[in-house]
Amino acid sequence: MRANHPTEAELALYSGDDLSAWQSWSIRRHLSACSQCRHEVKAHRDGLATLHGSAGSEIPGQVNWQRLSQEMTGNIRVGFAAGECIAGFEKTIRPVRPRLLWHTAIVFAAVSVVSIGALSLNLSKDERDGLIANVGRIRWERILRPIRPSSLAQDAVVLEAGPTEIEVKSNGRALSLTHPRSDGGTVSINMQDSAGVRYVDADSGQVTTNRVYYAQ
Amino acid sequence: MRSKAGIALLAGSLCGGLLAGGVLPKIDFPKDSPVSFIGADYGESNESARGGAMLLDLHAALSLRNSSQRRIRGITLIVTAQDVTPGGKGSVTVTSLDVGPAETFPVRIDLRLLRPLQVGASSPLLVGLDGVLFDDLGFYGPDKLNSKRALTLCEWEARRDRRYFKQLLSEGGPEKLQREVVASIAREADRPNVEVQMVRSGRATNFEPEKQVRFAFLNLPDAPIEPLDGMAKIAGNEARAPRLDVRNRSDRAVRYMEIGWILQDRQGREFLAGEVPAQLNLGPGQKGPILNDTALRFPPRDGQPFAIEGMTGYVSNVEFADGTVWIPTRTDLADPRLQKIVGPSAEEQRLLQIYRKRGLKALVSELQK
Repeated sequence: MRANHPTEAELALYSGDDLSAWQSWSIRRHLSACSQCRHEVKAHRDGLATLHGSAGSEIPGQVNWQRLSQEMTGNIRVGFAAGECIAGFEKTIRPVRPRLLWHTAIVFAAVSVVSIGALSLNLSKDERDGLIANVGRIRWERILRPIRPSSLAQDAVVLEAGPTEIEVKSNGRALSLTHPRSDGGTVSINMQDSAGVRYVDADSGQVTTNRVYYAQ
Repeated sequence: MRSKAGIALLAGSLCGGLLAGGVLPKIDFPKDSPVSFIGADYGESNESARGGAMLLDLHAALSLRNSSQRRIRGITLIVTAQDVTPGGKGSVTVTSLDVGPAETFPVRIDLRLLRPLQVGASSPLLVGLDGVLFDDLGFYGPDKLNSKRALTLCEWEARRDRRYFKQLLSEGGPEKLQREVVASIAREADRPNVEVQMVRSGRATNFEPEKQVRFAFLNLPDAPIEPLDGMAKIAGNEARAPRLDVRNRSDRAVRYMEIGWILQDRQGREFLAGEVPAQLNLGPGQKGPILNDTALRFPPRDGQPFAIEGMTGYVSNVEFADGTVWIPTRTDLADPRLQKIVGPSAEEQRLLQIYRKRGLKALVSELQK
């Protein structure tokens, strides 16, 4: 049964009269028998009405919509083109291997031998011992190790708090606590582990505090 | 142990309209709990697909009964969705209650849960009991979320504020009480609303250069803890890693405290960013550090990027080793800066709501109970 429902996108397009006549007829037919989809369409239309209402009060009348549309389309195309340009870079990133430039190394080694020889002829025993000890302290393993990019904390848990809701989210998953039956809340953050909002329930008059937490 | 989950699911299936039984929360209270679950109304709850995810929009009104012999003053329920937000959890706390033995009371849970389609659909939510506080300050519960401390602090604040408003009533009658209530409502309306994002460990942004900013402190003369010095790292709209040094100036050992952290932006506006808590073991006269590596980030306010310029701290509560607590007095909170920034206690919010909804007479009779 569920497989026969129109998709969310089709219902949204239908709500805005943006489908072809045949598609509109087909969805209208489905709606006549499906209260769930009718409910969805009504929600879309309410949203559109709200948008139109606010647009009417806030957007100046002399907007050149055609030009605006062309600019937006152009920007989107530029975005796609830019994405294609950098796609190649993403594919070619490989772990960097330590690589020595042999010519440079040979020249450097020769200069070092001459320098150390000259120095050792002119240095006292104490100074020579100090130099050897300092060279010994160089951490060769760190010089030869390639620098790797630090891993991004993609799984980081983020807490968000605002007067209308609080949320803990991680990796596209989210748990939000809301308080629809109040006039707003007071946000409180505990830097150790949690974010919260306190409100008075309009129906019961109860003072309720919602909090979200990190793992403990 | 436990499980009244079956009853919960049965009640849910009877009451729930748009939700399938499998996604209703599982209500799981301990068997010896002083609070029992009676039923639930899931009203307008529903679950729908949003792209590649499922969105559960839950509006539950739980009906609970006090099955103990003592009066209940506060309760904390813990809400977990372990499969969905690994590590993350939520809680719903109701304070300033006065529920007698065998009386029932409601607890509302309004939540949204966004989860990938591939995560299993059965019972993603578990609602349990974290703690109950009684009128004799006795506590029951596993206390995984430190509910005991939070509920006890609320109860102390409630007693302080009831006493304060009763005193106004007895000194100057309903007129004086009304003047203070109206002033408190006006302050509440003027208090800035804060939106904040909190991330642990390290900076959330790298775009702004970071600087160390020193704390200024509001001195509360009766506070058992004296803040000595403090620094935090500030970068644009982000504040992180506060470090404070404090001294115990009381004659009792302190085991926990919180410092209120007030931030100031470039326009000179101040707001309470959060509480910096610390588990301590600080004997009389001893000094100790408070460290925290959390970062707070603030979105633009009034259409302008938020830029932090200064910080102030004050001692907001202290718990002694013997379990008793210190909270600021009403005189402390009458400091003009604190009065503008610190919100009312839960009890004061409740009393203000009674005045708003039912008028002065109802408030007077509430205070005379």
